[in-house]
Amino acid sequence: MQTLQNLSFVLADVSDGFWFPKTASNFGTEVDFMYKAILWISVAFFVPMMIYMGWAAFKFSKPKGTKAEGKATHNTALELAWSVGPCFLLIWMFYRGSVGYLDMREPPSDAREVQVTAQKWSWLFDYGSGIMNPELHVVKDQPTKLVMRSKDVLHAMYIPAFRVKRDIVPGRYNILWFTPTIATDSLTDEEMQWKSDDPAEAGNILNQGKYFDFFCAEYCGKDHSNMQGKVVVHETQDDYDLWLESANRRPDDQTPEQYGEFLYTTRGCKGCHSADGTAGQCPTFLNSFGAEHEMTDGSKVAVDENYIRESILNPKAKVVKGYPPVMPSFQGQFNDDQIDSVIAYIKSLKK
Amino acid sequence: MSKAATADHASDDNYLTNTKGIMSWIVTLDHKRIGLMYLIGVMVSFAIGGTLALILRAHLYNPQGSFLSNDAYNQVFTLHGAVMIFLFIIPSIPAALGNFLVPVMLGAKDVAFPRLNLSSFYLWCAGAVFFLFALCTTGLDTGWTFYTPYSTTTSTSVIAATTGVFILGFSSIFTGLNFIVTVNTMRPPGMTWFKMPLFLWAIYSTAVIQVLATPVLGITLLLLICERLMHIGIFDPAFNGDPVAFQHFFWFYSHPAVYIMILPAFGVISELMSVHSHKSIFGYRFIALSSIAIALLSFLVWGHHMFTSGMSEITTIIFSALTFTVSVPSAIKVFNWLATMYKGSISLTTPMCYALAFMFLFTIGGLTGLFLGTLTTDLHLHDTYFVVSHFHYVMMGGTLVAFLGGLFHWWPKMTGKMFNETWGRISAAIVFIGFNLTFLPQFVLGSRGMPRRYASYDPEFTGLHRMSTVGAFTLGFGLLVALIVLLHSLYRGKKAPRNPWGGATLEWRCSSPPPYYNFERPPVVGNPYYFGDLEYDAKSDDYVFTEPDREVVPQKLEPAPQHVDSKKDA
Ligand code: HEM
Ligand SMILES: [Cu+2]
Repeated sequence: MQTLQNLSFVLADVSDGFWFPKTASNFGTEVDFMYKAILWISVAFFVPMMIYMGWAAFKFSKPKGTKAEGKATHNTALELAWSVGPCFLLIWMFYRGSVGYLDMREPPSDAREVQVTAQKWSWLFDYGSGIMNPELHVVKDQPTKLVMRSKDVLHAMYIPAFRVKRDIVPGRYNILWFTPTIATDSLTDEEMQWKSDDPAEAGNILNQGKYFDFFCAEYCGKDHSNMQGKVVVHETQDDYDLWLESANRRPDDQTPEQYGEFLYTTRGCKGCHSADGTAGQCPTFLNSFGAEHEMTDGSKVAVDENYIRESILNPKAKVVKGYPPVMPSFQGQFNDDQIDSVIAYIKSLKK
Repeated sequence: MSKAATADHASDDNYLTNTKGIMSWIVTLDHKRIGLMYLIGVMVSFAIGGTLALILRAHLYNPQGSFLSNDAYNQVFTLHGAVMIFLFIIPSIPAALGNFLVPVMLGAKDVAFPRLNLSSFYLWCAGAVFFLFALCTTGLDTGWTFYTPYSTTTSTSVIAATTGVFILGFSSIFTGLNFIVTVNTMRPPGMTWFKMPLFLWAIYSTAVIQVLATPVLGITLLLLICERLMHIGIFDPAFNGDPVAFQHFFWFYSHPAVYIMILPAFGVISELMSVHSHKSIFGYRFIALSSIAIALLSFLVWGHHMFTSGMSEITTIIFSALTFTVSVPSAIKVFNWLATMYKGSISLTTPMCYALAFMFLFTIGGLTGLFLGTLTTDLHLHDTYFVVSHFHYVMMGGTLVAFLGGLFHWWPKMTGKMFNETWGRISAAIVFIGFNLTFLPQFVLGSRGMPRRYASYDPEFTGLHRMSTVGAFTLGFGLLVALIVLLHSLYRGKKAPRNPWGGATLEWRCSSPPPYYNFERPPVVGNPYYFGDLEYDAKSDDYVFTEPDREVVPQKLEPAPQHVDSKKDA
């Protein structure tokens, strides 16, 4: 029964793009075309081959002991034909794939640049002038170039709707570019990739409108599967500017604690530090404010505003005993108001 | 010695019974017994890897995951992959079936270096123990690919696991070396290269890759261990290393390794298609040479695992071009197998059913490789379920199904027992259906954007994931049926005749199971694919060679001393 339901799920989907999410970038058409071309070429080989095989297995099935009727052991002309023939199709695939690939590797010189930082297990997009955000915001029809770096291990930026993917290698800048062709607001509900009604997820989203998914595609450890985010494509530059203005500010209807919690979940603190006392790779935040911690050098430090601020900006200065010095610095990624909010949030974690 | 006497003698004193006691197995130098021990080893590994796979699939039944924590999921998929690759699939056909068959197909008494052969088995055991060690202690979570810098920084037991792989690598090298020397030096008079059974060609090409590529893996893993322990700064960017360099090293071995996995399967299928069609293999030379071509080309395509990693454009394009060249020899083989069926006299036996399933599944696996070799589409599909599905079609639909086909095919020879044909065919059908149900949906998942190695997923992927889970359990059930059929035959099976399928290669000329020394007299070498002189004898359910043995008159051998030896071996 379950299987039947699943089957109808698949069939229902056939009509509106069985293979792909809706194409939303300049590369989509080419990639989808190649995919479908190879698919049909494959079908054109596979189906006759299998029909032949089924037919032969049936037709030449003989009782035990019957001698084979055919005596052929080879046929050089035929064999050369089926060795060389398909090569032309392969060359075409290779050629067209490579040309398309070169296009995907050369960002136009006027592309808008966004700096991307990936770390276990969060993303941060730097829009310049100190504006940072965990969502990727771009403008329709504007070429956008992502300059990506990783703070720890390999990650990969994958935006299925744009048909692009690029690894992010620590110690290098890796570049990805695309031109979005559809504004996310114009998506119908069906076209929306994200259908989650999980309130915990929704709470973390700044922009409550519509968006495309992006994923981390290179395995990066424990929360790899949660290393996802949203791409918002604005219809016009004005919409984008409007968003930009609001992006780095505490919303008027949020308390510093709430905003601090939001930053805690979206900026990567949550990946290591728990808020509920769970022991992990890093010290928990629960009841930490005001407590006294022993450092690796044996000194004792009281957790206060200054210590938290220092830990955020220069985490290796004082490391709590028993933990590896793995925390990256967040220098330049938080403004003062944001640091205050995080401190307010940590203060509020008391039980 | 008269013919009848030979047969009698062989039947009550075969390699399984000629010496007794556990020690006679532990220290045996007999390639057949070593092959059998390998067989048990790889089957146990497969059972472990398969159980882990079912755990993964059960977990993925629900979008938020069902019962594993993220950490546990990562450890389970790593172990599943690593066990399947290093413990099951690499040794499966070469070490288990190959060990048993290579000397027999050559009409020889044993491999060239029996002691090396035994030590290869024990190295395999030692490597396996290290894996279990990793499993029982902290659990490994790097994926079977050990990508840096994750593997140099994770707190799990990377060192134990890589040591295990390192030892397993040596086991693989020993086996390969042995086969190269055996095939080169021990072919009987009359068996020229182009009169060798295609299974031997396949094993030979595999052995070449094993010997040339595995040392690179060994070095890579040693460097990885050094990096972890001493921070020498080659792979870890925190010490000025380059993680992409690790990928180059790793795939330089691991891409050829996927041909270590599939080439032996090609060899098995060549035998199966020909014997069960009772007709000469079509295009012998093309098949044989394409094995060699694949072995060589496989060294030139490792970069296609790294199209998104940041290699230069020109490198990427060159690797794409080279990748397409490997698809040609594989296609040649498939066409030739299909042509072999034409006007044959096909028996739809269990091995043949598995061979036909292989043709279907492997072709899908190969064709989907074209999507991944084409750069534009690969950028979308890399590291998604499309890739997961692709490699399962080639490795599982290909190698595992060929291995099962070969196991059923040579089972009567190895154990002297016939299995139940009806249930054998049923197992093939269930495996086939379950396999497609498991992995066809994964292609769609991948092109819709579902990344691999995810412990949870977005709700829109639920339906396809559930199909896949249902399929996996169907598949598991089919494999269980196959196992029961085989085990059942040991207790209830009819006694196997010498040549139950009507094969013309040399292993069908010795009794089932073969005597300790394989052949009482060196067999006469003919065309391994000539079925003209094989007649079916309904009374004994056996195929017999009708031509009188062409004995060269003055060369009557004295077999007697050999038997004395064989008793002493215990
Ligand atoms: C019962 C049949 C099998 C099922 C249901 C199954 C399922 C899976 C699943 C769910 C994954 C993890 C996907 C991901 O998130 O990346 C996986 C990965 C993998 N499987 Fe299987 N599998 C099966 C048999 C096999 C066999 C026979 C082999 C090899 C001969 C194999 C080799 C692999 C490899 C190499 C990986 C990748 C591991 C990695 O990414 O490190 N599997 N499989
Ligand atoms: Cu990641």
